[in-house]
Amino acid sequence: MKNLILVLGIAVAWSVAPAQEFKLAKTSGRLEIYIGRVTIEGTAGNEIIFTSNDTRDKEEDDRAKGLRAVNSSGLEDNTGLGVNVSDKGNTVEVRQLKKMNSPRIKVLVPKGITVYYAHESQYGGEVKFRNLENEIEVSANYNSVELENVTGPVTVKSVYGHVEADFSTNIKSPISIVSVYGYVDVTLPLATKADIKMSTSYGEIYAAQEFKIEYEKQNDSLVRYDNKVNGKINGGGIKIDLSSNYGKVYLRKK
Amino acid sequence: MENEKRERMLIDYIEGNLSDAERAMIENEMAQNIEVREMYDQLKEVMGLLNQTHPIKRSHSLQANFEKMLQQEITKSEKNLVKEHSPSYTKTLSGRQVYISSWVLRTAAVLVLVLIGVVIMNDLNHKREHEKEVATIKKELNDNKKLMMTLLQNQQSASQRLQGATAAYEMNNTDDEIVKALVNTMNEDTNSNVRLTALEALGKFYWQNHVRSALIKSLTTQKDPVVQMALIRMLVQMKEKEVITQLEKITRENSVIKAVKDEAHWGILKLS
Repeated sequence: MKNLILVLGIAVAWSVAPAQEFKLAKTSGRLEIYIGRVTIEGTAGNEIIFTSNDTRDKEEDDRAKGLRAVNSSGLEDNTGLGVNVSDKGNTVEVRQLKKMNSPRIKVLVPKGITVYYAHESQYGGEVKFRNLENEIEVSANYNSVELENVTGPVTVKSVYGHVEADFSTNIKSPISIVSVYGYVDVTLPLATKADIKMSTSYGEIYAAQEFKIEYEKQNDSLVRYDNKVNGKINGGGIKIDLSSNYGKVYLRKK
Repeated sequence: MENEKRERMLIDYIEGNLSDAERAMIENEMAQNIEVREMYDQLKEVMGLLNQTHPIKRSHSLQANFEKMLQQEITKSEKNLVKEHSPSYTKTLSGRQVYISSWVLRTAAVLVLVLIGVVIMNDLNHKREHEKEVATIKKELNDNKKLMMTLLQNQQSASQRLQGATAAYEMNNTDDEIVKALVNTMNEDTNSNVRLTALEALGKFYWQNHVRSALIKSLTTQKDPVVQMALIRMLVQMKEKEVITQLEKITRENSVIKAVKDEAHWGILKLS
């Protein structure tokens, strides 16, 4: 009887809420996301909420109806979103089940949780972070990374992807963004006090004229082969490190 | 500060006051660092000169003259002894002349004493101030170091570890413990940005032999392209020809991405 009510309840919930949702009550610790493409947004609530961004019709595979995706990791789709979420106490791990086609997932994250994103495979897309006051850590190979209205601290590495970052006013130290092939494009509020380092080996560095950068002289005796700029903005403060080996580095004002 | 400590150790070394371990350390340092070697040579010369100076010998004639004069003075004063009666001498044999010169002398002696006192006090004060300064610098360094180490070991937060590595980058001095922690971070940390910053911090101390060898060694173990490329650049800037074979190996490795191979080719070109 109880089971029947539960099943009925789920069925009702399914029909009422078209977008599937998975919730997890957490306000601290670490959220580790290993999905090819994802949008992560801040929320004032105290639950991590996963929803699907997929347009259902497109992805639907009639042949797979009634079957479940099985993969080598032995993980199960415990969210109904094509991802596995496992709560390990201080850390929550989110993994995709399909190898190639990663589902489009949107995650709402409460303040106070460190967001970690890592993805090695080339089957992925853009990773977006929006309206976050959380600490963000990204380690990607092919993904492009977009940060919008975030405070930091931020560490981003992408080998082939580019990185775009737009920081809000209450920016927090340190910020470190590196790419090998992609460009690094960063927008800062004009009043930001920062110790900034920008470097490139084969690219160029561009900065908005409004930033009065006090350049620091390199006082070591080594011969420098790459283009490296160290300086202070508005007297110095937050540590910002931007670098791309082959891409360009842009610094814009907000 | 480092130099002062080194100088003290070198003096102790010349005088043979060092323990075996310290002696080995300073000998090692002399062998590696030409500046230390020069410092040692200079110190040794100066100390040798100091040891050669002998107390001045009194000449015999001078002594004889002095004794003669003394004798004359004694006989003179004995004659005057009855006439003169001053409280300032009861047991002495000095006469009037001696008495006058004695108060001049006394004043002079007092002045000299006061002067010596002032000089010594001044010197002591200076020393104390200097010691105080050294102590605060040491404390600061220690505090910074402690903070840096704690930050570097924060496994929960990459940005904290990054801050630790940045703090190390901003230090002007380093010791074995800091270098060890940085090398560990450069090789083991899970975050590329942190490893990269640790590498940059180590690059500031590239003239230290153990830092150099740690960097060279790291080239064989680094797997992250971002760190590999930065490390190759640094070793090339250091003109470290030793790494050419390793760079050639990198250019042939299948798992290495093109950007890193290109960097290795560039390095070989610059170094050979």
